[in-house]
Amino acid sequence: MISFILMVNKQGQTRCSKYYEWLPMEERTALEAEIIRKCLSRSELQCSFIEYRGYKTIYRRYASLFFIVGTRPDPLSIENGSGVGGENRENELGLLEFIHNLVEIMDKWAGSICELDIMYQLEEVHFILDEMVMNGFIVETCKGATLRPIDLLERESRKGEAMFK
Amino acid sequence: MLGHDGSFGYIKAVELAASSSIIHKRTGYLLCSACLAPSHEFRFMLVNQMQRDLSSSSILEICASLIAVTSIITGDMVPAMQSLVLKMLDHNSEIVRKKAIIAMHRFHQLAPESVEKQELVEKLRKVICDRDPSVMGSSLNVIESMAAVDPKPFKELVASLISILKQIIEHRLPTDFEYHRVPAPWIQMKIIRILAALGKNDSNASNGMYEILGETMKKADVGINAGYAVVYECVRTITCIYPNSTLLDAAADAISRFIQSKSQNLKYFGVTGLAAIVESHPQYAEAHQMSVIECLEDRDETLQRRTLDLLYKMTNPVNVQFITGKLLDFLRGTTDSFLKEDLTTKVCSLAERYAPNNLYVETITELFAISGEFVSQEVSQQLMTLIAEGAGEDEDADADTILRQHSVTIYADLLEKPIAKLPQLLIETMAWVLGEYAYLSADYTLEEILNKLCELVRKGKQLKESTRKIIVTSIMKLVAQAGTCPPQAAKIIDDFSKSKNQDLQQRCIEFQNLITCAPHMLGEVLPVDASCEDIQVDPDLSFMDAYVSQAIANGAKQYENLDDDDDDDDYDLTGSAKASVFKMTPYAKPTAPGASYTSSSMGGVGSNSPHIAGTGGAPPSGSYNHSQHNGITSANTTAPANEPQLNVRNVANVWGKKPANLPTSTPIAPEPGNFSAPVPAPVPSNNWSTTTSSYSTQQTSQPPSESVKTEEQLRKERMAAALFGGSAPSNAPGIARRRAPRTTVAAPVAPTLAPVQAAPTGPAPVVLPPTHPAPAPAPVVDLLDFMDDSTPIQTSAALDVDVLAPSPIEPAPVADPIHEEPAVPTKPDDPFAASGLFDGFSDAPLSSLQADSTFEHNGQSLVPLTITTAQFGEKWGSVPHASPISTPSSKCTTLDSFMDVCKSVGLYNIEAIPATNEGICGGMVGGTELVLIHGKISGSGISTKVDVTIKSTDATLGRCLAMYMQNLIR
Repeated sequence: MISFILMVNKQGQTRCSKYYEWLPMEERTALEAEIIRKCLSRSELQCSFIEYRGYKTIYRRYASLFFIVGTRPDPLSIENGSGVGGENRENELGLLEFIHNLVEIMDKWAGSICELDIMYQLEEVHFILDEMVMNGFIVETCKGATLRPIDLLERESRKGEAMFK
Repeated sequence: MLGHDGSFGYIKAVELAASSSIIHKRTGYLLCSACLAPSHEFRFMLVNQMQRDLSSSSILEICASLIAVTSIITGDMVPAMQSLVLKMLDHNSEIVRKKAIIAMHRFHQLAPESVEKQELVEKLRKVICDRDPSVMGSSLNVIESMAAVDPKPFKELVASLISILKQIIEHRLPTDFEYHRVPAPWIQMKIIRILAALGKNDSNASNGMYEILGETMKKADVGINAGYAVVYECVRTITCIYPNSTLLDAAADAISRFIQSKSQNLKYFGVTGLAAIVESHPQYAEAHQMSVIECLEDRDETLQRRTLDLLYKMTNPVNVQFITGKLLDFLRGTTDSFLKEDLTTKVCSLAERYAPNNLYVETITELFAISGEFVSQEVSQQLMTLIAEGAGEDEDADADTILRQHSVTIYADLLEKPIAKLPQLLIETMAWVLGEYAYLSADYTLEEILNKLCELVRKGKQLKESTRKIIVTSIMKLVAQAGTCPPQAAKIIDDFSKSKNQDLQQRCIEFQNLITCAPHMLGEVLPVDASCEDIQVDPDLSFMDAYVSQAIANGAKQYENLDDDDDDDDYDLTGSAKASVFKMTPYAKPTAPGASYTSSSMGGVGSNSPHIAGTGGAPPSGSYNHSQHNGITSANTTAPANEPQLNVRNVANVWGKKPANLPTSTPIAPEPGNFSAPVPAPVPSNNWSTTTSSYSTQQTSQPPSESVKTEEQLRKERMAAALFGGSAPSNAPGIARRRAPRTTVAAPVAPTLAPVQAAPTGPAPVVLPPTHPAPAPAPVVDLLDFMDDSTPIQTSAALDVDVLAPSPIEPAPVADPIHEEPAVPTKPDDPFAASGLFDGFSDAPLSSLQADSTFEHNGQSLVPLTITTAQFGEKWGSVPHASPISTPSSKCTTLDSFMDVCKSVGLYNIEAIPATNEGICGGMVGGTELVLIHGKISGSGISTKVDVTIKSTDATLGRCLAMYMQNLIR
């Protein structure tokens, strides 16, 4: 399952982070810093996957922004020790394409996505991620189905504003 | 928050979640789920709000709540939310349904006791058939996660999953689901992954999957990453489910394309895919030797790690040495503790899997040196057992000796190195091995080793007590073996007899007494090579009975159990460190009361009654040194005697084989006044069980690449040879390891390649239509070097048929391969008539216009076969291929007209039976192919119907004739 999704820029500043399992704040900062350092040290010619602290991490770079997805074996299968137990069965290439899909969706949402869009509409980015990933699973990948609720949400809030005015 | 504590704002976030504005509400929930720790009390404050939102009429509010549920709820909140979420599974909106099923899964993860698995599975069955593909897609996540743990409840879903997958790959989902023209790649991957879990070790379930997997793989192979991801998923599933050779070949093909790809990402997939496939089918690895070597040397660390994983999976007895060497190299170079741990486990498991092997000692020793902190106790335990017991089954004493000798050499060399860097465990193992088997050393004498050990103790100020104890015990053992006590050893033992550690002190004092009073007993107390032997202990102290009864007869008091007598100084002394530990259970009641005794020198005991059992060289320090408490009259001193006995057993079980019932000295009743400890028991200090080994570079097997530094290519080839089952590096330490000497590097590679190339040519001749000898697959044949042979053989074989089957009646054997290709109406006996083939076929309907023309097949006309009815009957059964026609006829309204038609075709009218309106005819084509026809006319006038059965030795011929005749009759 997906444990975290990060958007970090080249300077190492986290623009957006979403965790699907609990990590204390200090650990999050440490983890983000180390992962981005690893990503930055890799060249274009190397593959887009890093193994780090037991996480299988997949990253993709768009201009100055890194999209990073960290995965971990399903906690349920570890506990039981049976089945595929403990082994991380995530498909790295699938997740790499998932990142691209996410970026395409965000592109559609913001016109032409850039770092500033993520910075200033952070909650909306989170809402998009909420539609696409739940509890560490990819639940939605269609552009239309993902953006529809976001659109609804926006319209709904505008209605509310109008009422106040 | 920018490095500052933001916890002051959490309460605002909770308030925000209660806001009426949906955007505010979502933001509030978002903040809470991102910031509140699982144990945070604010989480409880949100439960009420989430419940309210779930019952809201607005889809958006329900969604907000469902999203929050998955990240905010904890195990004990599940019952509060469960029923509400359950209702949402039937909600009208698909957005709600797809979230609800994930939330249910989350509940199941958190509180399996309140969300029953059975219940969830039922729900899933319903949800997977949802009319909305998104809902189905999200339910797949849940199924995947649950099926990985327990596939059973989902077995019956295989068929539905396959049909879903089929619909997807046929592009039947809305176009919105397509990603770069690949239909719903993530849903595809999920289904394929679930199939893997369901088809594992289940040939029934797997059978149904083969077709769809092949098809999915074909359709997904469109040259973009999303497609490759699906292909890779298929590969993994194929290797996971019950094997199917066609699919495995396809998978291997995909892997080889991946691994040879320029893209690093795909290369990564090639290596992981190969790792998945070689585990069960090692033969597929051979084709990619060089690529694997290149990946191993790639500068990309991720790729290297994956390659190591691959190596680990393809280990066999031949290449294990090389591979462990590689793993250790990598281990040495890394600092990542997760990787270190992982590699250490891998090396251990490899070493164990191929255990009775000299390599084992070295490997584990080196492992200790590199990453001692990750080596588990069992591993060290096993190492010592192996050294002590030898390889095992065949009682090959020589091999055992060589193994021990080898380990002694390793450890003796290790002594030369500065000990500061060595982990304590390693030193302990080293000391134990030297103490037990130092006499086997070829390079050093006992005294030399003894001196070194003394040096070690003297210098080792930082050594732990337990380690020191073990070294001192080893020194004692060596002294016993050597027969003399060199001054250094004596000094050390003397020093430690004043040690603060009681156990150590006791050991030393005992030893001093032994050596001064009964030097001849040393060999018995500390025997050579007896660590595997069991120590027999008499827990009842029955040997004391005589003494006790005598004492009682002399007027001594009967023993009384004085459990609570804890102010006895002697108690602490005798029980050593152990007895002072608070015990929850009372000591076993001694059966024989020891009235009083005075212990005298051990010498007296030893000379008269050997109570000291052969203790297998274990340190004697656990025994009660009664020489220390002269004239103590204490009943309860005997009580703790039970304790070390129990421990002795534990130790023996850990170290030894099965209880060997070795001759232990059965105690004879001691003479009064001469009482000694019943057993000199070894002290089972915890540290004993752990082990260490030593690290010795010069002994480490060098990979061949390092031994010969010639040109790069050659080196890689050697590595490949070492890896891929060829041979192992030859410069390994010269211990009795039977291994075929490697003469040439290329040798092991060549034979493996040859069959690979040869393989396709095997089936090739079969595939080749014999009528097209010229366009044989040239590249394959080229490689093979026998092009000249292969094709002509094929042709001549086909031509031979004429000669070999002179009897026109027998069905020609060559007919069979042609049935498989009915589209090609070819005849094997005429390879050069290729052009005429199709003409004959397509002409058939045309020629029906000319009523008189006889039937031709492959340019050979049908000739009448003059036989009798009886002969016809005989052959009817033997002719294999029947082509029935049943057609209403306007032309053949009578039997006679039918027989005329048959005659015009070129058949011989054997008999016409007007009574039943039946007729039989016979014919032959090309002198070999037989045609037999039976016709029956029924009805009359316009409603006349003709039923004809054409039997022929050649199926194509029969079909052609049937079609031809049908046109004539109609």
